[in-house]
Amino acid sequence: MPCERKPMRYGHSEGHTEVCFDDSGKFIVTCGNDGDVRIWEGLDDDDPKFITVGEKAYSLALKNGKLVTASSNNTVQIHTFPDGDPDGILTRFTTNATHVVFNSSGSRVAAGSSDFMVKVVEVSDSSQQKTLRGHEAPVLSVTFDPKDDFLASASCDGSVVVWNIEEQSQLISWPVLQKTNDISNAKSLCRLAWQPGTAKFLAVPVETKVHLYERGSWDHVSTLSDDLQTQLINVVAWSPCGQFLAAGSVGGSLTVWDVNSKLCVERQKHEKGFTVCSLAWHPSGSQIVYTDTEGCLGLLDGLSTSTSNTNTTKAPAKKAAKDYDDLFDDDDDDRLMDEGLSETNSPVKKPITGDDDDDDDDFLMPATGRVRNRGAILDDENSLGELGVLYIGQNLPLGEEGGISYVVVPAAAPLVPMRPVYEGPMPTAPQKAFQPGSTPAHLTHRFMMWNSVGIVRGYNDEQDNAIDVEFHDTAVHHAMHLTNSLGHTMADLSQEAVLLACPSTDELASKLQCLHFSSWDTNKEWMVDLPEGEDVRALCLGQGWAAVATSALMLRLFSIGGIQREIFSLPGNVVCMVGHGEQLLIVYHRAPGFDGEQALGVQLLQFGRKKRQLINGEPLPLSLQSHLSWLGFTAEGTPCYVDSVGVVRMLNRSLGNTWTPVCNTRETCKSKSDHYWVVGIHENPQQLRCIPCKGSRYPPTLPRPAVAILPFKLPLCQTSTEKGQMEEQFWRSVLFHNHFSFLSSSGYEIDEDGQSQTQKEQQELLMKMFALSCKLEREFRCVELAELMTQNVVTLAIRYASRSRRMALAQRLSEIALEKANQIQEEEPEEQEEEPEYSGVRRTSGNRRDREEEEEQAEELREEEEDGQEMETEEAAETTKRQFHLFSSTLFANVLMGYVQVLGSGKPSSSSGLPRVTNILDNMTSSRKSSPLSRSAGIPSKGPVLKPLAPRPKTKTQSTLLQMNGTKAASKKTPENTQPAADQQKQPEVPPPASPADNTENNRPKTGFQFWLEENRKSITADQPDLEETDIIKEAMGRFRTLSAEERLSWTERAKGQTGDAADLKKRKRAGGGAENDNGQVEADENSSKKKKSLDPSSKLSAFAFNKN
Amino acid sequence: MDSSEVEFLAEKEMVKIIPNFSLDRIYLIGGDLGPFNPGLPVDVPVWLALNLKQRQKCRIVPPAWMDVEKLEEMRELERKEDTFTPVPSPYYMELTKLLLNYASDNIPKADEIRTLVKDIWDTRIAKLRLSADSFISQLEAHAKLDNLTLMEINTIRAFLLDSLNCMYKLRSNLQPGSSKGQFTDY
Repeated sequence: MPCERKPMRYGHSEGHTEVCFDDSGKFIVTCGNDGDVRIWEGLDDDDPKFITVGEKAYSLALKNGKLVTASSNNTVQIHTFPDGDPDGILTRFTTNATHVVFNSSGSRVAAGSSDFMVKVVEVSDSSQQKTLRGHEAPVLSVTFDPKDDFLASASCDGSVVVWNIEEQSQLISWPVLQKTNDISNAKSLCRLAWQPGTAKFLAVPVETKVHLYERGSWDHVSTLSDDLQTQLINVVAWSPCGQFLAAGSVGGSLTVWDVNSKLCVERQKHEKGFTVCSLAWHPSGSQIVYTDTEGCLGLLDGLSTSTSNTNTTKAPAKKAAKDYDDLFDDDDDDRLMDEGLSETNSPVKKPITGDDDDDDDDFLMPATGRVRNRGAILDDENSLGELGVLYIGQNLPLGEEGGISYVVVPAAAPLVPMRPVYEGPMPTAPQKAFQPGSTPAHLTHRFMMWNSVGIVRGYNDEQDNAIDVEFHDTAVHHAMHLTNSLGHTMADLSQEAVLLACPSTDELASKLQCLHFSSWDTNKEWMVDLPEGEDVRALCLGQGWAAVATSALMLRLFSIGGIQREIFSLPGNVVCMVGHGEQLLIVYHRAPGFDGEQALGVQLLQFGRKKRQLINGEPLPLSLQSHLSWLGFTAEGTPCYVDSVGVVRMLNRSLGNTWTPVCNTRETCKSKSDHYWVVGIHENPQQLRCIPCKGSRYPPTLPRPAVAILPFKLPLCQTSTEKGQMEEQFWRSVLFHNHFSFLSSSGYEIDEDGQSQTQKEQQELLMKMFALSCKLEREFRCVELAELMTQNVVTLAIRYASRSRRMALAQRLSEIALEKANQIQEEEPEEQEEEPEYSGVRRTSGNRRDREEEEEQAEELREEEEDGQEMETEEAAETTKRQFHLFSSTLFANVLMGYVQVLGSGKPSSSSGLPRVTNILDNMTSSRKSSPLSRSAGIPSKGPVLKPLAPRPKTKTQSTLLQMNGTKAASKKTPENTQPAADQQKQPEVPPPASPADNTENNRPKTGFQFWLEENRKSITADQPDLEETDIIKEAMGRFRTLSAEERLSWTERAKGQTGDAADLKKRKRAGGGAENDNGQVEADENSSKKKKSLDPSSKLSAFAFNKN
Repeated sequence: MDSSEVEFLAEKEMVKIIPNFSLDRIYLIGGDLGPFNPGLPVDVPVWLALNLKQRQKCRIVPPAWMDVEKLEEMRELERKEDTFTPVPSPYYMELTKLLLNYASDNIPKADEIRTLVKDIWDTRIAKLRLSADSFISQLEAHAKLDNLTLMEINTIRAFLLDSLNCMYKLRSNLQPGSSKGQFTDY
């Protein structure tokens, strides 16, 4: 008997609880220690109706719309069901009643009490009471014989007694239980149960087994037991068909036996192992609901009795027949039934009772066959056609028909999907319009708005109909108390005004009222009547404007002072609406949704100087089977929303206005019925402000709820691993960084510290991920990560790679560095109007699409470049200079060096041929170019996007230029940027001598040694990375001395050439070029000598370089 | 040490407030506080919370233990056990007094809480007296004082020490006056 155990939910406060289904099986009714009877429309009902019956409710019984409860004031009371009106007191005891039950017809109630008595009372006339005396301890439980002759009760005195009701005498007594002196000390509640229908057996839970006593002979005929059952059984309940018996135990196990075969057909365990103290079958027999002593409510669903049932063959048929029977019973009132149909189905119209079961079965056969056949072949069309007829005949709307799926008759059959209704997707009821941040309007005390500005509370009880406005920041305005004579139901609150609206009544039109408290004149209030027949559905406030969506699918804009502004039509019924600054976000019904889904559309408009629609009517993605529960903007102005499943989504402006889930509030909930009620979202710092609500979807106004802060978490895969965590952090940081570009593009001030902070954080994360991938030997991944990095971090990565002896990786990274430098250079002129701060990530994400176009234009560009090469070069160098200046001043000098070299090599390129490269990494890149084989082996296709410009003979200078700029800057920067990180011991007061920080330093005359040091510093630090600054110089001195006299001379000469200074550039170009050549050779020699000496990673690099030369 | 000093120490305890003003992080000798965002809970020491509350700059969120149900449980436990049970906060009495005196409007069921805490306090003090009594009557040299709060120790200290001195004087056959300097035995 397979079944599904639904998760437990909060039902009542801790303590004894009881549960039952109502007659139709539509509601679950529970009572508990808090004195409330709750009426749940299902396990997922978060807002159950409740009836307060006393301080504590000990037991309940429900039949024929009468709810009988045993409460703490020692009475047994009746309430009407489902309205919950008190309907008198049935009986009283000297202490509280412990268990109340109805008889099968609902005419009598039996109650057992702690004062040792059992009373049987007529429901219609409470004066007709029968008192059963004889127990010597509090009564544990009572149960009626279905045929109304007997009554069985269990007591703490250890006996189970069967009484004759009429004679009020004990018939038989079994001393099977443990003796105790009070219910609270009893090990088991010993809830007895009499088999319904035939009334053949009385089930008595005795320790871990269930004894079955036969009616009449009162013999103990059999025992139901289960080897796995080791705990005391607390409560037993028969299935409505009388074939199965369910038992719940003290340790939380739930067992179902087939009574005929005495086999255990189902075992379930309470998820927390709490004591099951009440158990009830759904009238259809397909569900068991149970409660525990902690006040939680659980459900076993999908109990199908067919598999173990010997009567399987006829069961579904009977069921279906009864279904039909029901249907036609309904019809009897209006007599509109189709003649043909009534003829074919006439046999089943016979009333079915338990007694003439056999006859009935025979009688049913024809109908059974037909129905079963239909079910088997799944002839949908046929049944649909018939159904059509049925519906026409019945004149019933489709929606109501769906409600008849519950079978009232206690069927001895499983629930089979044989409803005579349309089985396709059913339309969902469209969700009603609401104000985000408000609690439901039917509450007497409710929040009308809770947002980042303040709280608007509405009171609507007998004494008072008022609205309280309170500001989080009292500096905005003092709190206000308004009388709500108009009956406002909607409110919004901003720094400038309070906007209220009421629906129309018979006499009065729907009104909009604005309290413009920030106005500097004396008139701080205005009111507008909407045209007749138009109701306000949603409203919101922005900066300097107010918007109202109406039932006429209209959106009306007002200025905050009360001038009517634009008006436009909405594509559907509005769901809700929010404003922020100049932005207006509207969510409306696009179309009817099906199968529990809502089909919502979203519009985002921007007012202000350039009015435009940013999102025009795109579908709003919601989680499955959920509806919208909150809509708003982050404090920074990014739209976001929460659905009823608790998923928070935020607009990703950098990915074509898509919605990214950033948090699932349900993950942090302790119990299934807990929710978080979102009140605000901040991107910087990343905060989700919400109110935790225990056992409900929204908070009560009292006690005043406290705001909690939840972190965001993107639902990436494997966030338990380090990699997943870092990826999540990175992308979250990227996502929450988007608002900077939005704010700056719409002309707001931005928090530049915060921006650079997040950028730094992102780059750090990238570097960490890079290191992790390196460790895991995932070089391809490393390259992918490097593509997300900014250029100067790539250089860091190069260094890391070369340190960890990954030459191939370092080489590829240097390509990327080059690429990035390239990009910066190309984009610089285009992006002049943009703000100077760059984010590498934004660049890669934002400009990638541009780059493809650029690639296409590359050919053209090159042609042009050839023509005006000289000019181009200078211009490019100019832009590079500017670019790098912006990056960091320490780089400036490096770039200048590159600039000088470019100028040197630019013009006389024809004479000098390929410019001699001076740097290790330069060499590496050119070596790559000369060995395309290795490249294709490593990365077969890099895609057109990242392809560097192909070196063509004619454009050699151009490509060299790029290469120089890129790699020069990159490689030179390396020691600068890495040293603080890599060589912690480096003394901070020592100025970085290798890279002059500004122009003046560059202009200062230099010695040959300084030049040599500049060139070779890197190799020294690479050889002995833990050297201190002074030691580096010492080491350098030593090495310089080992050079030959000639070499030293050439360095000195070069130094002299340099000191000529940048003022007369033209002169220096040639000299520089020459020096460059010498320099290259010198270094080459140096490298070759070093190659013999050491096998350090960076010397390996240099060896690589040398090979090229 | 008198009780106002103990109260002074209790004022260093942190409590959550919901400010209704906006202020950046403030840097104090005792540590950084804030930032204060209107409507957002923030932890501050009791002295600041009370100060802000008196100036109507914040609402105080009562500590989690300051809840009728939890206190009732604690009271029952305290009554049931012979020894001292762990208290919710080492300064529960002082905090209750301070918060209920200055911010009773922010604490639901303030009167019940006051009664409950007083009940717990009375039970504990009664136990303390009882154990002091048996301590003296059985001539013990030392006693174990687990789970006692500073305030409770402080209440009994003056009386206990004086009475011990007295007892000593009475028990020793020394002349009054020559017994000076021997009090330290206890």
